[in-house]
Amino acid sequence: MSDKIVQVHHLVKRYGNFTAVHDLSFEVYRGEVFGLLGPNGAGKTTTIRIIMDILKPDGTGVQGARKATVSIFGHPPRTVRARVGYLPEERGLYRNMMVLSVLEYLAQLKGLGRTTARQNAITWLEKVGLRDWAGRKVSELSRGMQQKLQLAASAVHDPELLILDEPFQGLDPVNVEAIKGLIHDLQRDGKTIVLSAHQMNLVEALCDRILLVNKGRGVLYGKLADIKRQYAPNSIRLRTSAALPDLAGVKQVRALGNGTYTLTLEGISSQGLLKSLVDHGLPIESYEVATAPLDEIFIAAVKGDR
Amino acid sequence: MARVWIIARHEYLINARRLGFLITTLSVPALGIIGLLVAALVGGQMGDWFTKVFPADGTQTTVHTIGIVDRSGICSPLLPDYNDGFTLFSTEDEGLRALRADQILHLLVIPREYLASGKVHVINKQGGLNAMRLKDSAVIRRFIIDHLLRHSEDTLLKERLANPLEIVPVRLDEETRATRDDGLAFVVNMMTTYFLAILLVFTIFTSSGYLLRGVSEEKTSRIIEIILSSVAPWELLAGKVLGLGALGLTQIAVWLLSAAVFLGGAFSAVGLAPPTFDRVEVFGLALVYYVLGFLVFAVLMGAAGAVGTTMQESQQLAGIFSLVAVVPMILSGMFFANPGLTAFRVLSWFPLTAPVTMMMRLSVGEAPNVDIILSIFLLIVSIPGVIWVGAKVFRMGLLMYGKRPSVGQIIQWLREA
Repeated sequence: MSDKIVQVHHLVKRYGNFTAVHDLSFEVYRGEVFGLLGPNGAGKTTTIRIIMDILKPDGTGVQGARKATVSIFGHPPRTVRARVGYLPEERGLYRNMMVLSVLEYLAQLKGLGRTTARQNAITWLEKVGLRDWAGRKVSELSRGMQQKLQLAASAVHDPELLILDEPFQGLDPVNVEAIKGLIHDLQRDGKTIVLSAHQMNLVEALCDRILLVNKGRGVLYGKLADIKRQYAPNSIRLRTSAALPDLAGVKQVRALGNGTYTLTLEGISSQGLLKSLVDHGLPIESYEVATAPLDEIFIAAVKGDR
Repeated sequence: MARVWIIARHEYLINARRLGFLITTLSVPALGIIGLLVAALVGGQMGDWFTKVFPADGTQTTVHTIGIVDRSGICSPLLPDYNDGFTLFSTEDEGLRALRADQILHLLVIPREYLASGKVHVINKQGGLNAMRLKDSAVIRRFIIDHLLRHSEDTLLKERLANPLEIVPVRLDEETRATRDDGLAFVVNMMTTYFLAILLVFTIFTSSGYLLRGVSEEKTSRIIEIILSSVAPWELLAGKVLGLGALGLTQIAVWLLSAAVFLGGAFSAVGLAPPTFDRVEVFGLALVYYVLGFLVFAVLMGAAGAVGTTMQESQQLAGIFSLVAVVPMILSGMFFANPGLTAFRVLSWFPLTAPVTMMMRLSVGEAPNVDIILSIFLLIVSIPGVIWVGAKVFRMGLLMYGKRPSVGQIIQWLREA
């Protein structure tokens, strides 16, 4: 079985003269949380809608040279809808329906029988803490509760792949933690997750790999840890209880407080610096290759693309 | 296809629980029950009145007491047959006193120059319509004729003068001739078919209106994208059309069944045999026109629901189609005066007006087989086109939030299809 759950190649989508997605290619691997990032209007939602077969891609790629292809589990998206769960950015529920009935209906649309749909719906209501609300109307739920119900709706049919477009939008910190926990649980259960979010701290906490999209083009793509290192080359984060001596090969020292420093290296490796510090007899409490925060990378990448 | 049935069942159940649907559907049985209760309470009197108004031989009579002031001398003295129910007064004042004292219901003043003018004054407490009804009634006509020809023994001549002709409509292109002369049956046949037409139109509009409302609600509540991640737009539209079409049929079935049961009960209660509806083929045609008409309107309403950004906007768009569809009903006055007009033939070929026009034409028996076949054929061949256009607009419109697409944009969607 292939480890490539989603494969997107040379994706193009135009609206009249406006190109929303421009020759975009990426892959999502089994069991990972994949971050699809980008500023507003970058083309993320259009990409997701094409993956979900809600929108059709333009027939051919850039200049008609390469054909745009989208596959999930190696098949065209429309044939594997039942194996995919989707939480769209523009979302809502049947406000006048009972909470349990909504989940049952959506599960049945994904191909579950009535009995299984009901069982799964009850299980998910328990997972998101809404079991006691099963017989109430959706309109009676708070915004946070509705958001949890929407996440449950996207996962109620036990999909192998979940696509979550802005799942944390408009949530308070308590509900953010709750949703974050649910995503962790889903990943632990072996689900593959494509996550689109603007909260970079959450992306850092959840995602294994990312694709940063700007103006419809892929700007950054790969393992999150690699990208972070790539954006903070030759930097060391060090914590010590002693004062720092002058060190050869250190171009810049930035004190972060509490004995923590970021050192920018020039002409010396991280291993060489560590040896030098030991030679100086410096008491080292922590020593790591520094990475740049994702939000800084995001801004730098988007600005650099402009 | 399984998803289509799930959506159909969902739409059926959700909309069957709507208060508006329950009220409109159950109103006919409720009215029937009230009618039966009334019939049971006043059944005897109603029966007497009914048999007198619609007697088996077609002649009409009255139970009212009528006063006569005869200045012409043609009615004096009253013939023995008219001693019961008619009272002769020597002066108008005397007659008016009796009218005021409710001893008589109407006072007929036959002027001296009646033979020359033909005018008879009818005085009653209500005036207006009541007097006209009396004036036109066969009873008075019969009374005058019998007194004018009091010396003649020719009863057939009197009969023909009182009722000179009874039109028996026989169409040139009909294979069999209608031989029934039962006036009530004719009225029942015509009215039943006409009300069936109204009922069909009403059901087509209400059911397709539910579709518009459902699509609009799904779009404005933003659940549409979740649904579209599970089903294709055509499956969604097909499920809605099936579910709501079945809902409309349920409504029609409840109405027809309850109407049949309660009308039968009402006739029994007043001691009359219910008139026979002898054009059962109309029900079959009604079903065909309902299904085809509903398909056309449901798809158009679905597209309107998808294009509008709010319910009000969608309803405004749908109003254009509804207005076109009710054109035959707006022209019903002209239609009943001259049902054979070419304009009505043309309207019965146009898919949006065909179901209503054809049901109206069927009600008066003004629908030759060639027109029936042609209208059904044109509906059938136009439906794929309507569905193609409607489904395309439906699909593209569903995901457009906040801004209604222009006509140019819609045309562009269709071109890109």
